Amino acid sequence: MSLKHVWIVFKKEVKDISRDRRTLLTNLLIPIILMPLLFTFLGGSMKKMEKDITENITVALTRESDTEEIRNLLENEVFKNYPNIKLNGSVDNPAEAIQNDKFRFVIDVEKDFSSRLEQGIPYTITIHYDQSDTKSSGSFGILAEAIRSYSQKTVKNRLIEMNIDPQILEPVTIQQVNAAKDNASGNFMIMMMLPMMASILIAVGGIPAATDLVAGEKERGTFEPLLTTQAGRMSVLFGKYLTVTLFSFVSVIAQLIGVVIGGMINPTFFTMVEGGSGELSFSIPTGALLLSILTIITLGMVFSAVQLAISTYARSFKEAQTYLSFLIFAAMIPSYATMMMQPDDLQLYMFIVPLLNAIASLKMILGSVINYTYLGIGLGTSLIYVILSLMFAAWMFNKEKYLFRN
Amino acid sequence: MLEIIELTKKFGEVKAVNGISFQVNEGEIFGLLGENGAGKTTTLRMLATMLQPTSGTAILGGYDLIREPEKVRSRIGILFGGESGLYDRLTAAENIAYFGRLNNMDEGKLKERIRELAKVFDMEEYIDRRAGKFSKGMKQKVAFARSIVHNPDIMLFDEPTSGLDVSAIRNVHEFILDCKAQGKTIVLSSHTMSEVEKLCDRIGIIHKGNLVAQGTIAELLEQHSCGSMEEVFVKLVGEKL
Ligand SMILES: Nc1ncnc2c1ncn2[C@@H]1O[C@H](COP(=O)(O)OP(=O)(O)O)[C@@H](O)[C@H]1O
Ligand SMILES: [Mg+2]
Repeated sequence: MSLKHVWIVFKKEVKDISRDRRTLLTNLLIPIILMPLLFTFLGGSMKKMEKDITENITVALTRESDTEEIRNLLENEVFKNYPNIKLNGSVDNPAEAIQNDKFRFVIDVEKDFSSRLEQGIPYTITIHYDQSDTKSSGSFGILAEAIRSYSQKTVKNRLIEMNIDPQILEPVTIQQVNAAKDNASGNFMIMMMLPMMASILIAVGGIPAATDLVAGEKERGTFEPLLTTQAGRMSVLFGKYLTVTLFSFVSVIAQLIGVVIGGMINPTFFTMVEGGSGELSFSIPTGALLLSILTIITLGMVFSAVQLAISTYARSFKEAQTYLSFLIFAAMIPSYATMMMQPDDLQLYMFIVPLLNAIASLKMILGSVINYTYLGIGLGTSLIYVILSLMFAAWMFNKEKYLFRN
Repeated sequence: MLEIIELTKKFGEVKAVNGISFQVNEGEIFGLLGENGAGKTTTLRMLATMLQPTSGTAILGGYDLIREPEKVRSRIGILFGGESGLYDRLTAAENIAYFGRLNNMDEGKLKERIRELAKVFDMEEYIDRRAGKFSKGMKQKVAFARSIVHNPDIMLFDEPTSGLDVSAIRNVHEFILDCKAQGKTIVLSSHTMSEVEKLCDRIGIIHKGNLVAQGTIAELLEQHSCGSMEEVFVKLVGEKL
């Protein structure tokens, strides 16, 4: 192998591929645009949904319970401290009114409630709602909470009347302390999305280059002249390998730029989840950051080698594209499987399995629960996979049976 | 000078090329004539160091194919197949330069060589334009220039006119004869009798991996007491081309 030839091949391939609009689109533009779009739409619709659930809770009474007394009970007692719950009119058919989105809830109160109340006999409030509707089921808790707290208040009043301390009802109080590191829960969204997107993009990013660089070259008829130059076969392979690796990183870097842009457009997106501190904060030690970045880089190298091997194996450009798209699925499965996983759930074996180790490393540093042994193992095994995958690609590239089949 | 010694290639059980030997003298065109699947491409791929011979060897320009494949590659230029494959997103000059660089030419020399080739092949007008939009004729010229950018003294042509139209075929023939005029040693494979008759000084007939006859046209006609090469071929191979 000659470094000079590797460099010549690399330079030519980069020039060639960067003149291809389609590749630039998939490698650069889409990742840059996709993230901010995702942030804006997903973030926007999540916000709107949240607003709809907590505000504008429309409630109607059934025709039978639409009396002055009941309306008074609800408006001035039950919903008193819940300005977002709006009692408005009455309906004959509760199911129809809810289906037609006229009201989110229809409430029925037993007519003789006041006499029951006086006698201390329980009475029933029936809530009609649509459990299959996100808004209706989402707001249900708020409505139920309003009724529950009214009920508790009534109990308290009764106890006070009887001269009993209401505290008797609460022998134990629960106090919550969130033990997660300050930023761990806040970075939930980015912890979930970034490793997944990065591993998928790394798998996708090199594909146009890998397809073009061997299968394309064979189909075009430039491969034979290339192999007859004084550049050895391994120099050609290496030059191409570096190109594929470069392009898979370009898309990850583009994605990161997209994340930053998205973050600027909608800064609260990452943390838009219950328990989030509302602010994105990182305190990743440089060493850990470096280890995980190296692991991601090695993942890109493994993918590149495998992609080149597949491209060598393929009979045609089309065939190479088909095989390589299966590889994206291979990247998606572990990514999705671990999407919801928290840094605390990470286990040793995840740092050994290829692909999973890169995802796990990224999750670990984003979650700020750093274990250097695990990160080290992740990088160590990745390096072994780089060597193995390169050996595989080289073996494939020397295999006359695959290189010259037509 | 080119000497092929008992060259053999097996693909599994298939003997694609079976112990063929022949010599090509300097400045000579040797024609390898045979049907589809006879073993022409396999032979030329071995000579071009793309395939490793199962046994036997060849000496090209004084270098042994097995022992010094890099040296051999520095002396050969190839044109395989009729279609001229180029990198569409590179200019004509960049296409040619890539192969020059990979053949260890220094930049100054390369630049001069490309200018010279552009003139010879009348490509000056479009030498700095991207190859993707070229006509077939323009692409063909770039492919010719690419194959000789490093000024090889041995040229290997594998069915260089297959699938081409009449004028493109004429261009290829002219190019081969130009190479000969420059003193290059040439091996040309073909399954077209007239092409071989027109261009070659000596002919080898290859059939199922075996070289069943070789010599000048006159020699072959005399040896097999035939009136035409067509007859010789039918006699040896049992079929018409
Ligand atoms: N890479 C390969 N793998 C397996 N068999 C091959 C390969 N290349 C050629 N062959 C076989 O070798 C024989 C000669 O093929 P080839 O040299 O291409 O013939 P020609 O060029 O004269 O048409 C054929 O039977 C072909 O199927
Ligand atoms: Mg052939």
